[in-house]
Amino acid sequence: MKFTHTATVAAPRDKVWARIMDIPSAARCVPGVASVRASGKDKYQGTLAVQIGPVRLVLDGDFVMTARDEQAGTASLKADAKDSRVGGAIRATMDLALAEKEGQTEVKIATDLAVMGRLGEFGQAVIKRKADQLMGDFAECLARQVMTAR
Amino acid sequence: MTFDYHEPRSLAEALALLDRYGDDAHLMAGGTATVLLMRQGLLRPGHVIGLRAIDDLRGITPTRDGGLRIGATATLRAVERSPEARMYSPALTDAFASVATVRIRNQAMVGGNLAHADPAQDPPPMLAALNATVSIRSSRGERSLPIDELAVDHFTTSLAHDEIITGVVLPPIEPGSRETYLKFLPKTADDYATVSVAATLRFAPDGTIAETRIVLGAVGPTPIRARRVEDALRGQPPSRVRDALELVPDEVDPIDDLRGSAAYKREMARVWTGRALARVTR
Amino acid sequence: MSTHRLSFTLNGTKHELEVAADRLLIEVIRDDCGATGTKLGCAVGVCGACSVLVDGELLSACLLPAVFADGRRITTVEGLAKNDLTPLQDAFIREGGFQCGICTPGQLIAATALLSEQPRPDHEAIRTWMMGNLCRCTGYYGIERAIQKASGVGGQSPPNRL
Repeated sequence: MKFTHTATVAAPRDKVWARIMDIPSAARCVPGVASVRASGKDKYQGTLAVQIGPVRLVLDGDFVMTARDEQAGTASLKADAKDSRVGGAIRATMDLALAEKEGQTEVKIATDLAVMGRLGEFGQAVIKRKADQLMGDFAECLARQVMTAR
Repeated sequence: MTFDYHEPRSLAEALALLDRYGDDAHLMAGGTATVLLMRQGLLRPGHVIGLRAIDDLRGITPTRDGGLRIGATATLRAVERSPEARMYSPALTDAFASVATVRIRNQAMVGGNLAHADPAQDPPPMLAALNATVSIRSSRGERSLPIDELAVDHFTTSLAHDEIITGVVLPPIEPGSRETYLKFLPKTADDYATVSVAATLRFAPDGTIAETRIVLGAVGPTPIRARRVEDALRGQPPSRVRDALELVPDEVDPIDDLRGSAAYKREMARVWTGRALARVTR
Repeated sequence: MSTHRLSFTLNGTKHELEVAADRLLIEVIRDDCGATGTKLGCAVGVCGACSVLVDGELLSACLLPAVFADGRRITTVEGLAKNDLTPLQDAFIREGGFQCGICTPGQLIAATALLSEQPRPDHEAIRTWMMGNLCRCTGYYGIERAIQKASGVGGQSPPNRL
């Protein structure tokens, strides 16, 4: 499943870029992210706790930056995470694109998410909506972070 | 999956258990949803509190003012078969009879159906269109909540951890009111709806629409009140329904799934709201 | 995990046993009581293969916590025939109401519940009621014919007499 989020940040592109490339700090903008640490070059490890009604998931996984082009303002990220108690996994690719317009920066995040195992049984609909919410919150929070950091 | 099962005989006992175990406890009425979620490993409570042995939560009884009270542990099938419920509104019977199969309706209970907050369920939109309130108890006291305010997201309610739904109260139906429940099922008869519509409507003596409530199921994270459509119709003649229906697609928030794309569901929401309103304005 | 003492009758025979909180009725009747006529199909309450009667009410044994059976009368396919087949079972044979047979115990139980509630269901009533019992051989016409044949004959429903 695919979804796209955009957020406009009242800051120049290089500022926004620098903020996002600080992955451990930017990741904290996703509600439920507990810990993110570097585990290699462009590699990170972390956990994400998600609650959907009575269902609590703890996704443990890796996060890799697969492409980065500062000049173009684009980057690609790949995330693999699993909940070992429930027995399910997610795989996501995210394409990030920053574009500056009149001193403001538009952040566009296109996500392609696959849900596997028992997590999938819970209903693609629910997972999709939750992932959509998380990415929406992420984009908003990022915008706030950059603006307060200025 | 490992948990302790408790089956309190009284509400006080159930509330004490909830207070003791906090969010490690999960309430179970009929168990259709809870059993599935636990078997899938998605729900892992340490304590399951069964509500079925509590006398105070049972029964379907007319209220003194001409309304209806449905206890939290009334099965969906009990509502479907209740002469009191049918007397109150045949549309209420229709909505409960629409749920899945007779086996599920024999097991699933009203309180559990509401607490599960599945946006594709049939009873919640109908109960909302009938202006129901949910009775809630905790060790802190008692409160009533308009049913509109119960579900806040997919499978998520505004209930606190220590609260139990004790029942649903339906106000008396005003004379001249009409009600209907329609469910669009393009696949199989026991499926979840692509969209469902519960509508109530009352005409003023001059033939204009005095009041209407329209609630859509399966097209958003919760049942959705089509408030702008309701507002557009209040005080208007039924000939305005056609125009008002154009507002429906923007009221709903569906997603793509096996039951249709989001765009298709928006369009079907408009079409089926039209069919529901045709029934109550005829 | 808590355990619970259960006492129920299965096809007229009293059973007393201790079960863990997470056990389902289908597991108890098949594994503990040895009544394997009831089948586990989808395990999520959709297909109807595990249909049983609990105090005469049609339920999915795959969704029912075993603790709910305490003090109840349970009827499975093994409990339908006394010395002779019920008219419904007989009609299933005569009308070709089954092919591979895996769904048949559930079909018979569901139809028994239907006929005890509506002794003469019409075409539509049969279809609406039986809609939740899937037959992967798609032998629905034979099943419907058998129920129609057996309707109004009476003597279908041991559940209320057990």
